[in-house]
Amino acid sequence: MTDWLIPVLAGAATGVLSGFGVGGGSLLLIYLTSFAGLPQDQAQGVNLLYFLPTAGAALPAHFKNGYVDKAALLPAILTGLAATALAAWAATALDTGVLRRCFGAFLLLIGLRELFRREPPAPGAEQSPR
Amino acid sequence: MSKRGTESNKLWCAAAGGAAGLVNGFFGGGGGMVLVPLLAGKCGLGQRRAFATSVAVIAPLCALSAGIYYLRGGLDPAAALPYLIGGLVGGLVGGRVFRQVSMVMLRRVFALLILYGAYKALV
Repeated sequence: MTDWLIPVLAGAATGVLSGFGVGGGSLLLIYLTSFAGLPQDQAQGVNLLYFLPTAGAALPAHFKNGYVDKAALLPAILTGLAATALAAWAATALDTGVLRRCFGAFLLLIGLRELFRREPPAPGAEQSPR
Repeated sequence: MSKRGTESNKLWCAAAGGAAGLVNGFFGGGGGMVLVPLLAGKCGLGQRRAFATSVAVIAPLCALSAGIYYLRGGLDPAAALPYLIGGLVGGLVGGRVFRQVSMVMLRRVFALLILYGAYKALV
C-alpha cells in the first residue's frame, strides 16, 4: 500500500507546482533520485511521462483564464521539439553518474538564481490579459 | 508589450523554446525553469502568462522526450504509474488555484527546495 501511497502523494504535491509551471518536475526528480532511489536516467524518464497528465490537467484552466499566449506557442514548440529530441538522445547515451552531476550543477545554478532574484514582478505584469 | 507579435519577438520565442527543449530533454525536466524567465524577459509576456504558457510549450516536448527515453531504455512506465496519478490530481489543483498564488513566496520556497536537491546530487 505504501508502495503506492507515497509516490502518489509525491506526484500530487509536485504536480501542483508543475501545474503552475514552476519546476515541480525538478522537485519530483530530486525526490525520485534522492529518496525513491531511482537511477538518474530512469527518474528522468518517469518525470517526462509524469508531466503529461499533470500538464493536461492544468492546461484547461490556464486556457480558460486566458493565461496562455497563443502567439508564442508555435515558434517555441517547433524549435523546442527539435532541441529536445537531440538532448534526450544525448542524455540516454551518457553515463548516469555524469548525468547526475550535470543535474546537480543545473539545480545549483537555478536555485541560486531564484534565491537572489531582485525585483518582484511588476504589478502591471500580473494583470490578466485582454 | 508593444513588441508582441513582431518578427524579433517570434525569434525570441523560438530561441526560448529551443533552450527549454535542450534542458528538458537532457535532464528529463526543468525546461520551465529556463522557459519562464525567457518568455517574461525577452518575449514580453507578463509573469503569470509566462508560467501558464510554459506549461503548454513544455507538454509536447515531454511527450517526444518520453518516447525517446522509452525507446532507448531510460523509462519504465510501470514505475511511473503512481506518479502519473498523483500528478493528474496535483495538476488539477494547480490549474485552479493558480490565480490566487503569490508569485514571490512561491519562488523563495522553490529556491530552497532546489538548492537542497543540488546538495544531494553534488555532495
